[in-house]
Amino acid sequence: MSLPTTFFGWIQLLIEKYGPLFLNGAGFTMLIAISGTVLGFLLGLLVAIVRTIPVSKKDNIFKRILMKLVNIILNVYIEVFRGTPMIVQAMVIFYGSMMYLGLRMPALGAAIFIISINTGAYMAEIIRGGIISVDKGQKEAAHAIGMTHWQSMVHVVLPQAVRNIMPSIGNEFVVNIKDSSVLNVISVSELFFVGKSAAGTYARYFEAFAIIAAIYFVLTFTTTRLLRLLEKKMDGGKHYTICGSQSAADATITLEKGENVPHD
Amino acid sequence: MTDMNILQVQNLKKDFGSHQVLKDITFSVNRGDVISIIGASGSGKSTLLRCINFLEDPTAGKILYHGKDAEQLNRAEYHSKVGMVFQSFNLFSNMSALDNCIIGQTLVLKRSKQEAKKKAMEYLEKVGMTPYMNARPGQLSGGQKQRVAIARALAMDPEILLFDEPTSALDPEMVGEVLSVMRDLAEGGLTMLVVTHEMGFARDVSNRVIFMDQGVIAEDAPPAEIFTNPKQQRTREFLSRILDK
Repeated sequence: MSLPTTFFGWIQLLIEKYGPLFLNGAGFTMLIAISGTVLGFLLGLLVAIVRTIPVSKKDNIFKRILMKLVNIILNVYIEVFRGTPMIVQAMVIFYGSMMYLGLRMPALGAAIFIISINTGAYMAEIIRGGIISVDKGQKEAAHAIGMTHWQSMVHVVLPQAVRNIMPSIGNEFVVNIKDSSVLNVISVSELFFVGKSAAGTYARYFEAFAIIAAIYFVLTFTTTRLLRLLEKKMDGGKHYTICGSQSAADATITLEKGENVPHD
Repeated sequence: MTDMNILQVQNLKKDFGSHQVLKDITFSVNRGDVISIIGASGSGKSTLLRCINFLEDPTAGKILYHGKDAEQLNRAEYHSKVGMVFQSFNLFSNMSALDNCIIGQTLVLKRSKQEAKKKAMEYLEKVGMTPYMNARPGQLSGGQKQRVAIARALAMDPEILLFDEPTSALDPEMVGEVLSVMRDLAEGGLTMLVVTHEMGFARDVSNRVIFMDQGVIAEDAPPAEIFTNPKQQRTREFLSRILDK
C-alpha cells in the first residue's frame, strides 16, 4: 500500500481510517462538556445560594458561626479550583484517589467529576454576581408582599439572575468543550485523545490535528448558536396580546415587542 | 376605639451609622385614615415607611399593629396586611402583570390558583390595567407599571397601604393616572399612608397631613389647618418654598 503524498490525501486517509473514532471522541467530548456544565452549574448554584444567605446581627450565635465556617470552606474551594490548572487537578484527583483511597475511577466518570467541580468553582462566582446584579428593589418588593428569603430567591431573584448570566454560562460551556481536551492525561477517549492516537500511527500530527481542530470548531460554533436561540426563548415571546378594550370586550391586539403601547 | 386603631408608631428611631435619620417618631393610624407625609428630601419620610414595613430595622422604638408588637408577629402575615407601593414600582420583571398580582397570593396567602387569578383580575380592572395583563413590566410605561404595582399590593387584601413617593419617578403626564387611582382607593375607604410631594393630593384627598423635618414630626394636623394656618414656622417655610414653584 502506497502512502499519500499530499495534505488532502492524508486528510482523506485519516478520515477513512479513523472517522468513526473521531466521531466517537467528539461524542465523549460533548458528553463530558455537557455533564460538566450542567453539574457544575448546579454545584455553583448551591454554593452561590449558600453564600448569599443573609446573616443579620439578630440571628443566634450558632447560625452566625456556622455560616462563617461554611463560607470559609466554600471560599477555599473556589480559590483552590480557580487557582490551579484543571490538568493538574485531574492528575491529583485521579491518581490521588487511586493511591490513597484505593479508588479506581472509570476514566469517563473521573473526567466528568473533575470538570464538574472545576466548573462549579467558576459558576459559583458567576451566579453570585448574577444574584447581586438583580435590582435590590425586586427583593424588597418580594419581602413587602410577605415572601420569605427562599420564596423570593426561587421565584424572583434566581430566574432573573440566571437569565442575566446566560452569556457567561454559555461561555463556560464552550470553554468546557475545549478544555476537556486536557483530560486526555487520565486517558479518557475524548476528541484530543483519539486525535493523538490517530496521529501517532502515521506520525502525521499536522493533518490529524487539522481535522480535530475543525471538529472542535464545529462543536463550539454550533453550541454558541444554540445558546443564542435559548436566550431568545428565555426572553419570552416577541409578541404579547392586549385583551379587550372599552368598546369591545373580546377584542385583542397583538403587539410586537418594543412597539409602543397605546396609552389610555 | 382600640378597634379603630391599626398602627401605632412609638418613639421610633433609626440611625445610619452616626447619622440619625429618625429621631423620635410617634403617631398612630386609624382605620380609614389617609395620611400624607410631606417634608423636604432627607427629612426621613421614606425611611419612616421603610421602617414600618421592616425593610429597614428600626434602631429603637416600637411599631404596634392592633396593639401587638409588630416585630413579634409572623412576618409574612404582617407584610400581607401592611402593603407597600414603591417609588420605582419594583414589579417582578420576570413575570407578566397578571402573575405579579398572583404570586404573593398563592405563595404567602396560600390561595388557590383560580381564586388568586380571579382576585388579581378584579384589581387589575380596578386600576384599569386589564388589557395589559399579559404584558411584561418592560413593555409598560411608568404610570402603567405603578398601577399594576398598586393592584399587586391590593390583591393581598391589605389593611393599610404604604405609598413611598408613588409618582416621583413618573413623567409629568403619567402622574395624573396614578393619582386618580389613589384617589379612588381613598374614597373607597382604604387606609393609606402616603409619602408624597404632590401637595394637591395631600390637601384634597388626605384627612391628615404629617410634616416631617430633620427626622421629627414637626406638625400633624388636618390638611385645612396645615395648608392655611400652619402652627410652625418651618412648616410655613417649607410650604411657601414648594407651593411657589
